Amino acid sequence: MSSDPGGIPPILDVRDVHKVYRTGTHALRGVSMRVRPGTVHGLIGANGAGKSTLIKILSGAQTVSDGEIAWRGSVTEWTSPSQALADGLAAVYQHMPLVPSLSVLDNVFLGHTGSLRWDRARRTRELAELCDRVGYPLDGDDLVGDLSIGARQMVAILQALARGPALVLLDEPTAALSPSEREILFASVRRLRDTGTTFIYVSHFLDEVLDLTDHLTVLRDGLVVLDAPTASTDEAALITAIVGSRLAAFEAEAPVAARSLGEVVLAVEDLASGTAFGPLSFDVRAGEVVGVAGLLGSGRTELLQALYGADRAATGSVTVNGRGRPRGPQQAVRRGMALVPEDRARQGFLADWEIWRNISLPDLPRLSWRRMFPHAAREREQARQAVDDLGIKTQTIDSKVGDLSGGNAQKVVFAKWLYGNASIFLLDEPTAGVDVGAKSDILHLIRRLAARGAAVLIVTSEFEELIGSCDRILVLRRGALVADLASAETDVHEVTAIASGFGSHGDHPLGRKAAVS
Amino acid sequence: MTNPAAKAPAWRKALAPRAAGVVYAFIALLAVLTITSSAQGRPSYLSSVNLSNILEQSALIGILAIFMTVVLISGNFDLSVASTAALAGTVALKLIDGNGTFVAVLAAIACGALVGLVNALLVQKVGVNAFIVTLGTLTAVRGVVQAILDGKSITAHNTALLDFSTGRWELPVAVALVIGVALIALAVVLAVRSGAVREKLVAAWPLWLAGLLVLAIAGFRPNLLDQAVPVWIMIGLALVASLVLRFTVIGRNLYAVGGNAEAARLSGINVDRYKMGAFVLNGVLAAVVGVLYAGRFNSVDPTVLTGGELTVIAAAVLGGTSLFGGSGVVVKSVIGTLILFTLSNGFNVLNIGSNYQNVVQGTVLVAAASLYTATSQRDRALFRKRVARKAPAEPAPVLTKTGA
Repeated sequence: MSSDPGGIPPILDVRDVHKVYRTGTHALRGVSMRVRPGTVHGLIGANGAGKSTLIKILSGAQTVSDGEIAWRGSVTEWTSPSQALADGLAAVYQHMPLVPSLSVLDNVFLGHTGSLRWDRARRTRELAELCDRVGYPLDGDDLVGDLSIGARQMVAILQALARGPALVLLDEPTAALSPSEREILFASVRRLRDTGTTFIYVSHFLDEVLDLTDHLTVLRDGLVVLDAPTASTDEAALITAIVGSRLAAFEAEAPVAARSLGEVVLAVEDLASGTAFGPLSFDVRAGEVVGVAGLLGSGRTELLQALYGADRAATGSVTVNGRGRPRGPQQAVRRGMALVPEDRARQGFLADWEIWRNISLPDLPRLSWRRMFPHAAREREQARQAVDDLGIKTQTIDSKVGDLSGGNAQKVVFAKWLYGNASIFLLDEPTAGVDVGAKSDILHLIRRLAARGAAVLIVTSEFEELIGSCDRILVLRRGALVADLASAETDVHEVTAIASGFGSHGDHPLGRKAAVS
Repeated sequence: MTNPAAKAPAWRKALAPRAAGVVYAFIALLAVLTITSSAQGRPSYLSSVNLSNILEQSALIGILAIFMTVVLISGNFDLSVASTAALAGTVALKLIDGNGTFVAVLAAIACGALVGLVNALLVQKVGVNAFIVTLGTLTAVRGVVQAILDGKSITAHNTALLDFSTGRWELPVAVALVIGVALIALAVVLAVRSGAVREKLVAAWPLWLAGLLVLAIAGFRPNLLDQAVPVWIMIGLALVASLVLRFTVIGRNLYAVGGNAEAARLSGINVDRYKMGAFVLNGVLAAVVGVLYAGRFNSVDPTVLTGGELTVIAAAVLGGTSLFGGSGVVVKSVIGTLILFTLSNGFNVLNIGSNYQNVVQGTVLVAAASLYTATSQRDRALFRKRVARKAPAEPAPVLTKTGA
């Protein structure tokens, strides 16, 4: 275990913490961690590793079963986040509790109880100072609801900083950010660290963690498996620490080998929708995995919506399995399309429904007697099959999908489409908010689908995954297709450069296309 | 994460206050009223006459509650039902003398369907909030009724509607016995076939309880088998609606549409069709209720059924229907209606001032809603915090020291 020299006492000292839930789950089995002041301390681990539990304990939302936590040298007895906040530990969660109908100024100083009077001039001044410290300009009068997701994230961070905390806990702050917004966030964190604020940084993105943090703690199965200065480790070591061998093997695998592809099943010609994107043209063949690399705001989600018939304003022609553009999701499903949406909880599943009822939803008539009377035994059989096929971790198919972890819930959303007649899969950020183990499972699943003859279109900003799983990569920038790359011949740097408007391809948008096709 | 609720056996969930609370409440209410009235030396509260009275008073609101529940399940809201019923009743009585019963009833039902369709189009196609739209139709349709009647009440000479809605129909005792035995047998067969007999038998309590109830009525209160036609219509519609919601693709999709419209839409379900269908169906059935109501006295006045929509919604909420869509059981809404009418009936029978009647009904409604919210999975904040504070002592971990 690490013992930093220098003798600076840790600001937060987690000593042999155990957590046993009343259900019997032993989430933490003796975790120790020392956070030095003025550092960025990375905390990583797969879902179920105990990371969320540790975060909840640190922020005061839960109490320890055994062990203790020392804050500035004395043992804490926080039983609520407000006590932690009062002592100087502020947490910024992935889902930001902001009020969209209030202004930035109101949100940043929400819940301040310093004085009864709302001194607007003083608050505006304080906000300006904060923005200055962070290096991110925000207009206090803007409504939070009108801001981009990245700007909202910054408001949430400002809200935390406005309390003048000594330590800020950032939980997956970049999950919804574009690379440029990410850079701004990182610059702010570094700047604040240099002025003495301490950070605990929780993220799935290992490159970020390596880039940003000074020290790393990796959890697996409730234990600390790696605790070292960031400089002494690298991505390979981290991946091994988090999952062991599985994902490491996947990363090492060569990109999909050239296969014989079927005929064109999805032909897009001059598809356009308002200012969002287009006109675009491309083809996807049976058995082919095509990736659309696009950053936030590039029109990637809108493109999928238009293909799926959910955007009635779109113009242009789409041929799906030899038939015309679907006029609505219902028709799209009938023509063999399947959409795995970006926002699972809102668009992908019913949180209150059991696994089996969620999985049978899209092709309930097929599982029903006379297409009208659902046959529960058949539905349950199919759900059991899905749990086996996809390795969904659950005790029973009667569990509610809302109670599953992100990765398992995403597998349920996939499973909805696996047993019907879907032959064209549209995947919108299929691995967002999914832990590394499940991510690897899902990427394997995509390959299996292609091997089975399905056409797969993946839209994502996770370029590394695209290269690992796609045959071709289309780069979408500001609504236009600027490159068509064979994934065997490209790399993350090239895709990132083209997608974000840098690099040699920026000047010749379609320069690569001829070379590839 | 493991979820303790998922591990609980099915029967435990089926008998939990959240799932069956309205049944317990109804039984408790009947028990209290029975004991009180016998303590005061009054005739038995559970007499056939009194029970028939309650049923007859509840029947029309009960029918409305069934289809209000359907609309609520689909994720919408309909305030216009009582006005729609009033319009349908007015139209029926206006036309019946000149054009005959068939045309009158058809026109009334068409009016109901039209109001439902207007609601549906404005809510689903234009996108106006359902509360606002139906508040508008509530007012406007009532205005149409007032315009047609011009402040006066009308009476029809043709008594076809009167004969129909005040008619009675008796279920033969032998048939009732067969039905009762069949229900119990069905519960047993289902339980035996599934293997886990005891668990399944408890989980299927609505089946055998209904069977026992039918047997008890046939055995001890055979007069109860003779009921007014609207009561039988309510029972029939409740049965059909329950079966459709529970056992058909339509029912499943309706719950999906109300539970998460976007997920349902992307799964290929025609969300608009279901939501609009619920509105139109509700309008049609409101019209049927209006015709039955007009037939009861063969006359209508401009204030007929005013405020009825609130009773209907109260009944659905008492029955545990979620106002956010995606959950609800029509039979429970009917029991909710019975509770409301039993309360007012009890006040009359026990001769307690009717001044307090509304206070009690309102209190019962809010108490029920609070109980549902506090015990529900999603909104258990209040109870959860209490529990957490009271029981900080979790089982001591079995410490397996690792590392240094």
